[in-house]
Amino acid sequence: MKNKAQWVSRSLLLIFALQLSVPSFAFCGFYVAPAGSELYNDKSEVILVRNGNNTTVSMSNDFKGNVRDFAMVVPVPVVLQEHQIKVIDRSIFETLDKYSAPRLVEYYDQNPCGQYLRKTLERAESMPSRMIMEDMAVMDMDYNVKIEARYEVGEYEIMLLSASESKGLQRWLEDNDYDIPKKAQEVLEPYIRSNMKFFVAKVNLNKMPNGDYLSPIQITYSSPKFMLPIRLGMANSKGAQDLIVYAFSAQGRVECTNYRTVKMPTDRNIPLSVEPVFGNFYKRVFDRAYEQNNRKAVFLEYAWDVSPQVNVKCDPCVGPPPITVDFQKAGVDWVNTSRNPNVFFTRLHVRYTRDRFPSDLQFHITPNQERFQCRYIMTHPATGDMSCEAGQEYMQNLGQRQALEQEELNVLTGYSPNENRSLNQYLNEEMDFALPITGSKNDGGPSASTPIPLIQIALGVIALFAIVYQLRKERPEWKLAKM
Amino acid sequence: MSLKAEVLFFCLNEPFSLWRVRGGKSLDMQVLSNIFVRFLSDARHFQIVFLSLFLTYGCIDLQWIQYKAHYIVTLSLALFISWVNTFFNAPTQQWKSNVISALGICLLLHSNGIWVSALAIILAIYSKRLFRFRGKHIFNPANFGIIAVILITGEAWISPGQWGSSGVLAFFFGLAALMVLLKVGRLDISIYFFAVLALLELGYKTFYLGWTGDVLLHYLSNGSLLLFTFFMITDPKTAPQHPRARILWSLLLALGVFFIARVSYLATAPMWMLFFLSPLNVLFQKIFPSSDFKWTSSSLGHVHPQKTASKEVLSNS
Repeated sequence: MKNKAQWVSRSLLLIFALQLSVPSFAFCGFYVAPAGSELYNDKSEVILVRNGNNTTVSMSNDFKGNVRDFAMVVPVPVVLQEHQIKVIDRSIFETLDKYSAPRLVEYYDQNPCGQYLRKTLERAESMPSRMIMEDMAVMDMDYNVKIEARYEVGEYEIMLLSASESKGLQRWLEDNDYDIPKKAQEVLEPYIRSNMKFFVAKVNLNKMPNGDYLSPIQITYSSPKFMLPIRLGMANSKGAQDLIVYAFSAQGRVECTNYRTVKMPTDRNIPLSVEPVFGNFYKRVFDRAYEQNNRKAVFLEYAWDVSPQVNVKCDPCVGPPPITVDFQKAGVDWVNTSRNPNVFFTRLHVRYTRDRFPSDLQFHITPNQERFQCRYIMTHPATGDMSCEAGQEYMQNLGQRQALEQEELNVLTGYSPNENRSLNQYLNEEMDFALPITGSKNDGGPSASTPIPLIQIALGVIALFAIVYQLRKERPEWKLAKM
Repeated sequence: MSLKAEVLFFCLNEPFSLWRVRGGKSLDMQVLSNIFVRFLSDARHFQIVFLSLFLTYGCIDLQWIQYKAHYIVTLSLALFISWVNTFFNAPTQQWKSNVISALGICLLLHSNGIWVSALAIILAIYSKRLFRFRGKHIFNPANFGIIAVILITGEAWISPGQWGSSGVLAFFFGLAALMVLLKVGRLDISIYFFAVLALLELGYKTFYLGWTGDVLLHYLSNGSLLLFTFFMITDPKTAPQHPRARILWSLLLALGVFFIARVSYLATAPMWMLFFLSPLNVLFQKIFPSSDFKWTSSSLGHVHPQKTASKEVLSNS
């Protein structure tokens, strides 16, 4: 009996150790709480679907003012036809958010003295996600702005503009009641020069659906450019903005090519006390990861093969995985055409500011099929009689384990136990990511003048040429060609 | 006494004799300095040290530790193949080049399976034997290995954003490259390539499109581009030898990278350009004939390549 108890306790410890060292080891945890996208104040959500050169972008909008004032301007690579613009139901964003949100899972230790006690707990708090975007739009002849097309889609009045110079476009937008920041002009110019068109939308109040939210807009186009223009949105934002990208591809993970794509810390064991504040906990973990990566990384929060023929779509599932209907809503058109379609889903989280994200986000698809989920684990201690030897041993190890969990929590959130505020207070504090940028504050100005480092570049080039010239002159042996 | 015997003798018998002065002259210091001079004499040593440092930095700071199995397999396979090749009359010094190729693959390639990384290093090393012209290999081994597995297996990819963009990174890459390339004499390729690309991008991004200056700097300080500039196109065994050919080569590369990026928006344009332009080396060899580059590794330290060419040079194919 004693031997058996020892064996059980050892196996339990082994299982625990395995779980620490092999985090991807699948186990039946119970999903407790998600940390969905509703946590962030200034945020956007975008669904990106890419197949060859075809891209479908769905944009969700958390516009919080009077819809009368709502306007948006999005640079797009081509003039869109009417069938390429759609208004979709917001539920798809909620489905994807809930499915892929960072999760807290729990499970229970078994009583090493033989009493099995197992509870299940399932609390799928649905956390609705909200919406996004930039602002502005309209036309005339002396502005050098051409209205390429005009559509009414859903509650929106949409126009596609092409312009030959930014001043005209800026004036046109202002004269047509698009509240565009003055500094937007310097960002409009590069888009015009890159031959981008402007997708401009306003709300037709008569067609507003019931409810106080605006429908997400979905556009489809064909272009080798696989990017998200974030610069225009930064022209009128004063602080950091959160962007959540739900990307679908047929090959594998989508990653950013001009910024680092970094995995969020995952599979960490944390104390039970985190459960009621999991949302705030994750937010702080993100803040910390963001700081540690110099505020200039793109974070991977979820990656999974969601092809219809794949059975395990999450482990454990926070929300129902996307199914064919959701694929159709999101614009994953290849599920209809092929028999065994491959669909890979990636969730990226970007917090961008003007100073650390000077360029638009560029993406590419990789064949990387590795699954990833952002998961935190809490383990309930066993209860009941612990008088047996294995029980005593278990209790000893439990203390150590809980200390480790606390330590992990402190490391993840940056909380110092010596501080005279409690963990809850710490987690509830709003972090300030105000920008350390110079520029005219009136215009929300970080996009203000960043001088062209012409002189530095020129000096650098001249210096390098000088070095080479000198070296070649003085050390002819380096002209190895004569060897 | 051979180098190995010296080191062995030193390590086993007199580990503390370094500070003991005999007859006013430290003999062991001499042995040690000899080793040091030997180390300095071969640019490949520098390259191995720096590339390993970059890899270590990536593992510690950039989450690359998760690919450690790939790195271990690639590097040990490179050493193993080098050892096997010594039975087939391969030069004994070849392991250095192979390790450099392996490090290049570790730094740039990502794959779904360890076998892909292994295939990459095998293809890299044997590309040197397969694709030759006038005794000189055509493709940069690491570049060939990487592009070949991407094309063949479809299970591999390059992550151009993996280094991020940073001025500090640019500085250290540049500095490390300076030390290696001054020894090899290929700094000009890096400089011409980078200068031409920078000027083209400056003209396009900053003057034509009108982006603010930081957009250009962000592009130019991308770690992958810098690594490519300083450590990949400068490989003296595959870059053209003749000074004029080198200028032409860097110009073509820069133009190619610039235009490919404009047309296809391919973020990995530099690697593809290098691969597809490498066959031009054959043409360069015909138009600008010049002798092959030889890695020097001598006991005399920093030596004149011409003087050592006849006796001290350990050729490496």
